[in-house]
Amino acid sequence: MMKKLSGARIVIEALIQENVKVIFGYPGGAVLPIYDELFKQNKIRHILVRHEQAAVHAAEGYARSTGKVGVVLVTSGPGATNTVTGLTDAMMDSVPVVCISGQVPTHMIGNDAFQEADIVGITRPCTKHNYLVKEISKLAESIHSAFHIAKNGRPGPVLVDIPKDIQTFETKYGGKKHTKSVSFYKPNTKPSLDTIVKFVNLLVKSKKPIFYVGGGVINSGSRASLYLKKLLKITGYPCTQTLMGLGATPTSDDQFIGMLGMHGTYEANLSMNKSDLMICIGARFDDRITGKVSGFSPKSKKVHLDIDASSFNKSVNVDLLIQGDLSKILEMTLKFIENKRISFSKEKISAWWNQINKWRAKNCLNYKNSRSIIKPQYALQRLDSLTKHLDPFITTEVGQHQMWAAQFLTFNKPKHWMTSGGLGTMGYGLPAAMGVQIAHPKDLVIDVAGEASILMNIQEMSTIKQYRLPVKIFILNNHYMGMVRQWQELLHGNRLSESYMDSLPDFVKLAESFGATGLRVSKPGEMDDLIKEMIKIKGPVICDVVVDPKENCFPMIPSGSTHDQMLLGPNDKLEGEISEEGMVLV
Amino acid sequence: MTESHSKHILSIMVDNEPGVLARIVGLFSGRGYNIESLSVSEVDSDRFLSRVTVVTSGTKNIIDQIKAQVRKLIPVHNLIDITELKSFIGKELILMKLDIKQNTVLKIHKHIKNIGAKILFEDKTVIIIEFSGTPTEISSLIKKMKVYNIVELTRSGLVSMALGKDYIRR
Repeated sequence: MMKKLSGARIVIEALIQENVKVIFGYPGGAVLPIYDELFKQNKIRHILVRHEQAAVHAAEGYARSTGKVGVVLVTSGPGATNTVTGLTDAMMDSVPVVCISGQVPTHMIGNDAFQEADIVGITRPCTKHNYLVKEISKLAESIHSAFHIAKNGRPGPVLVDIPKDIQTFETKYGGKKHTKSVSFYKPNTKPSLDTIVKFVNLLVKSKKPIFYVGGGVINSGSRASLYLKKLLKITGYPCTQTLMGLGATPTSDDQFIGMLGMHGTYEANLSMNKSDLMICIGARFDDRITGKVSGFSPKSKKVHLDIDASSFNKSVNVDLLIQGDLSKILEMTLKFIENKRISFSKEKISAWWNQINKWRAKNCLNYKNSRSIIKPQYALQRLDSLTKHLDPFITTEVGQHQMWAAQFLTFNKPKHWMTSGGLGTMGYGLPAAMGVQIAHPKDLVIDVAGEASILMNIQEMSTIKQYRLPVKIFILNNHYMGMVRQWQELLHGNRLSESYMDSLPDFVKLAESFGATGLRVSKPGEMDDLIKEMIKIKGPVICDVVVDPKENCFPMIPSGSTHDQMLLGPNDKLEGEISEEGMVLV
Repeated sequence: MTESHSKHILSIMVDNEPGVLARIVGLFSGRGYNIESLSVSEVDSDRFLSRVTVVTSGTKNIIDQIKAQVRKLIPVHNLIDITELKSFIGKELILMKLDIKQNTVLKIHKHIKNIGAKILFEDKTVIIIEFSGTPTEISSLIKKMKVYNIVELTRSGLVSMALGKDYIRR
């Protein structure tokens, strides 16, 4: 005879069955029964954040660095509404997260009760799916379904809203196996063989191919990365990666020609523009990538490999689409190539590589270094040189520093780069780094930050202190919201409206007040020592790297322009005015 | 280069659960798609399934995107673009209340009979008629009846079905 358990207990038992080891959360009135059950067990570790938005970002960092589902627990009302930015971030970047929120008791719902918010209504568009559990009999089923949905198909956040009375009601729970089928959600993961054949035919024929690789490869798992690496090797074709895709295959590889898009490399963007075959793998032709759509890679045939059918032909029409799990698609492709003994002639693409190498020789990431002032690019180059042997996990906030990190750091393994790509959430990096560090306690975790972004979730220093997380915060401090200023310079007559960061805290003292080490550096000659010391220190560190306040991020494709209209440096002028069409773009 | 817009009738089978309509409607409004007509009701009480009929319009790319996005919703079991099938039927129901005066009542009766509408209710002041037909037929009915004093009217939105048996099983 099965024993009856309370709803709150069932929540914990179901999480244990889902192999959850850590949850990020913040208690409150409507989740007290669940927190009480948490207290009575020791299988799940709870990390107390200082703001619910940070709980979601931490869960995202945990999920993206492990491939597992990140779990969040928050109370009703403000607790739940504070998760909205995090959930939207996870939605845009396809991160598997399950967020459990408390709700006022069922009989109070709709009465404007204390700390009541219609969080299922609010998060409907920013979650992959959500549940309001109105009957105790549906509780276990909802939680197990949430995990199933979050991690299958294109991953995403799922919210389960549990009224307080449901947490106290009792019912029987026989474990996941005995819970009503949760497998109704079956995304199509198997590609059809005939599309694979067509794909290989295109691959063989192409003289100017380019692999355009996105975060989908990383989401598909390490096998996808492995197969892609093999396919790159067999074909010898060049490869560019999106911001989300960095590390899908090693960025130190010779076939890697840099990130593409708005701040991508000259060679990557021109290769996209001039290619005759574009192979998009797990990316979504986002506006940061395409620039002006009508001038996007005009001469290429386009192949799109993705698990999400709604990504096909959304902004760019493609010639061949293959729906399925990327590791399966790539595995089948490799098998087909092997079975048919297809070989790829290096000669066929030698002219293409010559052309690419000419573009490469432009050395587009070059910048004018200085002896007196630290250039942000230099700081990151030194960070890369002195840490890459440790395969650090890098998170970022959002802005210039994020783009420079993407340009100058090396990513030789997938799941080592956590950045807010789709939503562009300032304040993402610090809590994400906490989540990563919880999952990888012994590894080096660095949040590359700007002084503006870091302040958006700076309260998490308290969490870092509590759990002794040795996160390294590497602030490129230029006293500006740099990217905002860059656009104001470029598009708004240099009127720097509200983009100066006045009244900043003393980051060294701030670090110290949270029991961390604070280091400041303002001379290029001191850079290496700072980084070495930062690595050596066992605990958390804030590095306040005072950099050139005027530096801008190049190359840049101004809004409304195409890949061949790049600005390579501060002396590159826009050709004419930016069109009105371009002005309204973000 | 302007692509032609075309009208599409989407028939969507969904779990009849709270919020399911909000998911569909929210998807349309959030992504800027147009809903020209919407009707929804439970059609299978054993399996708790509702059938939603949405009439929308857009370029081929937009329609494809709408279909892909709707299919991604978890409670959506199946979506059929009825317009893409060879032949289909689309009907709508209208209820119309007319103000009657002694001198018009006979004329109205005759008119209603000609059109093939049904009288649902009648007293000394008003008459309520029911008519079902294609949206065009209904619009033309409204136009014709404007010669009388229409107190109010309500339309059900389109419901639609394709011919044949195979399409629904796919």
